[in-house]
Amino acid sequence: MLAKKILNFSFIFLLITAIFPGAASAADSRMIPPDKINFPALKFDLLPAERLVLENGIIIYILEDHELPLVNIEALVRTGSIYDPEGKEGVADLTAYVMRTGGTEKLTGDEVDRRFDLLAASAAVSMHTDYATVDFSALSKNTEEGIDLLAQIITAPAFEKNKLELAVQLKKEELRRLQDDPQRLAFREFNRLIYRNNPRGRMFSSASLSNIDREDLINFHRRFFQPNNIMFAVTGDITKEQAINLFTKYFGKWKKGTPANQTSLPAPTLQAGLYFIDKDIPQSTIVCGQFAPGKHDPDYYAFTVLEFITGSGGFNSRIFDAVRNNKGLAYSAGSLYRPRSTFGLFVAYAFTKTSSTMQTLSLINTILDDIKRGTLTANELDWAKQSINNGFIFSFSSVQDIAWQQMKSEFEKMPPDYLARYRERIEKVTLEDLNRLAGLYLDKSNNIVLILGDYENFDKPADINAEPVIIKPQE
Amino acid sequence: MKRNNLFLLFIILAFSLGLNGKAFCFDLESRVIKTKLKNGITVLIMERHISPTVSLYIRHRIGAVDEDKGETGAAHMLEHMMFKGTKTIGTKNYAAEKKILEAIEKTGAVLDKEKQKGDKANAKTIEELSSRLRKLQDKHKKYFIPNEIDRLYTQNGGLDLNASTGHDVTTYQVSLPANKLELWARIESDRLLNPVFREFYTERDVVMEERRQRTETNPAGKLYEQFMSVAFSTHPYRNPIIGWPQDLMRLSPAAMKKYFEKYRAPHKTVIAVVGAINPEQTLKLIEKYFGAIPPSKEIKNIIAPEPKQTEERRTEIIFDASPAMIIGFHKPNPPAYDDYVFDVLETILADGRTSRLYNLLVKQMQVAESVSAYNGLPASLYPNLFAIFASPRHPHTNAELENIILRELERLKTEPVTEEELTRAKNQLRMNYIKSLDSNARIASILSYYEVLLGDYRYFSDYLKNIDKVTAQDIQNTATNYLKKENRTIATLDRKKE
Repeated sequence: MLAKKILNFSFIFLLITAIFPGAASAADSRMIPPDKINFPALKFDLLPAERLVLENGIIIYILEDHELPLVNIEALVRTGSIYDPEGKEGVADLTAYVMRTGGTEKLTGDEVDRRFDLLAASAAVSMHTDYATVDFSALSKNTEEGIDLLAQIITAPAFEKNKLELAVQLKKEELRRLQDDPQRLAFREFNRLIYRNNPRGRMFSSASLSNIDREDLINFHRRFFQPNNIMFAVTGDITKEQAINLFTKYFGKWKKGTPANQTSLPAPTLQAGLYFIDKDIPQSTIVCGQFAPGKHDPDYYAFTVLEFITGSGGFNSRIFDAVRNNKGLAYSAGSLYRPRSTFGLFVAYAFTKTSSTMQTLSLINTILDDIKRGTLTANELDWAKQSINNGFIFSFSSVQDIAWQQMKSEFEKMPPDYLARYRERIEKVTLEDLNRLAGLYLDKSNNIVLILGDYENFDKPADINAEPVIIKPQE
Repeated sequence: MKRNNLFLLFIILAFSLGLNGKAFCFDLESRVIKTKLKNGITVLIMERHISPTVSLYIRHRIGAVDEDKGETGAAHMLEHMMFKGTKTIGTKNYAAEKKILEAIEKTGAVLDKEKQKGDKANAKTIEELSSRLRKLQDKHKKYFIPNEIDRLYTQNGGLDLNASTGHDVTTYQVSLPANKLELWARIESDRLLNPVFREFYTERDVVMEERRQRTETNPAGKLYEQFMSVAFSTHPYRNPIIGWPQDLMRLSPAAMKKYFEKYRAPHKTVIAVVGAINPEQTLKLIEKYFGAIPPSKEIKNIIAPEPKQTEERRTEIIFDASPAMIIGFHKPNPPAYDDYVFDVLETILADGRTSRLYNLLVKQMQVAESVSAYNGLPASLYPNLFAIFASPRHPHTNAELENIILRELERLKTEPVTEEELTRAKNQLRMNYIKSLDSNARIASILSYYEVLLGDYRYFSDYLKNIDKVTAQDIQNTATNYLKKENRTIATLDRKKE
């Protein structure tokens, strides 16, 4: 990789360093205050992946690296469980799963399994709410055989009936076992609440799974798995020529189509409220949140900083520090931010013992109120910006990461300078931005709050008097 | 400490599935520089310029097995306390702090003693002491800056700052932009020289919540804990790393100090540095900062070996969750040859959709939701277990799975595995091995793990050669020797019968 020429598209990172000349000459230089260490500058070029388009519209990012005899392929497909036909929720998930397990036009599912395992290669198609991913890896000596299998799975799956039946049964079992996992169950039910009356909130149930037949999978695959609707990132021990040849050979005959994902989905609407799910366990799962800026919103960068300080920035973020460190109320507490194309989701969470459940919710509310009142400091802002920007380099720590970031940026239709200028845009965020966004997005009265636990034994602090709605998880 | 503490062992197991190929030879030995500092710390350095980052692992050959009776959970609790700063990191005035910390410790000890009286405890005394403790804790807050270690690393771009406690090994890890190496050396050497155990009682509550999250509300955690406590009758592998609740409630700052002394023994410490660094400068930096740790005498920790099992053991958990089970067999630990054979067997039985048990239970008979096999539970310094985990698919039962799995294990004794199965398993182990070399963090993790556990990271570089030796006959012999009724423990989890 080092021997190769730097392509003209390259982003240069100059990591911010604090220079304090002479600081290291203290009496015992080992006891230098850590903030005063004089770090050398870190300047470097990253070799970006090369982007190609095949005749049938397939976009491929390629980046070579011959350290290990390994080839990795990742793909993104514009589809998702949001396109599940009504009453047949689960079609998208099953399509992805049975593409891998249900055989191809040339090979039975069992034979595909056998070949992958014998080569020690792996392939998986995973469905998400509004996209799907493909993950593939093989030893480089098996690259061609592996890509042949991968292409068959993606372009010509057979959806064997018995493999669909097995997959449906396993999905139903997954639903049964979901009831045993408080965190996963609570987050799933939270999504159902926040995406009420919206395709994003329709999730598979035992009943919807029973309505699905093989034709549904064939149709779903036909509607979304098309060469002009997928992007690949090919990295590792493979040359550009080899990649082009193999993709042309195995994906070249795949015909262009008109993908069905052009329909614009209704934006979700918020309906705040307090909800309980009853489960007789000694620890409660608290999940609360609301909508936030999307990835194309100019406020995306400022909200990233705000949310980092609020709950995802580790020990010093406000929720973690207050709930865990200061009060010892939880082992896991914090927040997360999921920016989507047109909107985002902000969620705060904590898992605490039954007797401190409402106290913990009240503490989270107080933290959000405090932030909204303008208590964020310039120190916190600096800490967050430096943390995000100094850590950004880890998004590019392997050829796989580099190609993936570039592909994902195009997939999400981010501006072409998105990666190159990300750090600059974070740097520009001001305290005023944070205060304005806190007012818009951290108002506790807009939160949907879901608590799963032994609710009859929750504590009853004076400041929470909302009447909870008791709901039952979907089966 | 944010994640994966208890389950570090699973990650290590995943790492131990490696191989060295005929076609592929990633020559680790020529790229790793191994040095011993004067005080006994072993340093492994590997230069790797894929990205301008560096991954840093410090491992101590100290873990839950080193705990005294009644103090289970101490090693893990200490790992949490190691994030509370030092005499110069996280303080505004250490001299003032020290006095308050001593008062907190005294009050906490009296309070714990009163609480342990259970029903006979004096409610008023408890209330008074709790109130005094809270006041002291509030006073202490004026003199210290919380979360400084995390703040320093995060602000400088640190990734995956974490620590984990295993039965055998405790680990502190972080990845940094390569120019920030000195920050790591400054913080880590200081917390081995001058740690201050602040906020002890609050952190103990956090660990109680961690236990609720991982064990009390988690059927898999419950089942695993109970299984281990029955499979081992005397060896400390029977204790959960996080500790039994009654011990956890009694842990004191004094216990922390005792285990810390064990921790910092330099001859039981291994540092691994992998990434875009200059090895010479790196070593100099490490010598400068870590060289100040005084050498310590070897204290032999004598742990009586687990007595040979002579009859089948069974245990049943009643829990409101879908059923699941574990079957485990005692076996030798690495680097015994039989341990390699078990790695191959694990792969043949449960790695991939065509593996014997997955194919049979999930695909063909359709009686299971999942099945997996692990060689080397719960850890690898002492003889350990080969275990099979399975969950029935409704309406099938643990009993049905048990019958089928045991029948399949019997078959291993009478019929050799096929050539295709053996080739497939070896290919899969080779692939896992290669994949484990694709990031600085994974390489640093593996090198330091085997060095601290076995005294030589080359267990890993020679791994594939040893796997290649394994024959169908070896598997048959190993199955015959170890997969016996009198050597097994079966744990099941079921709902209460209606």
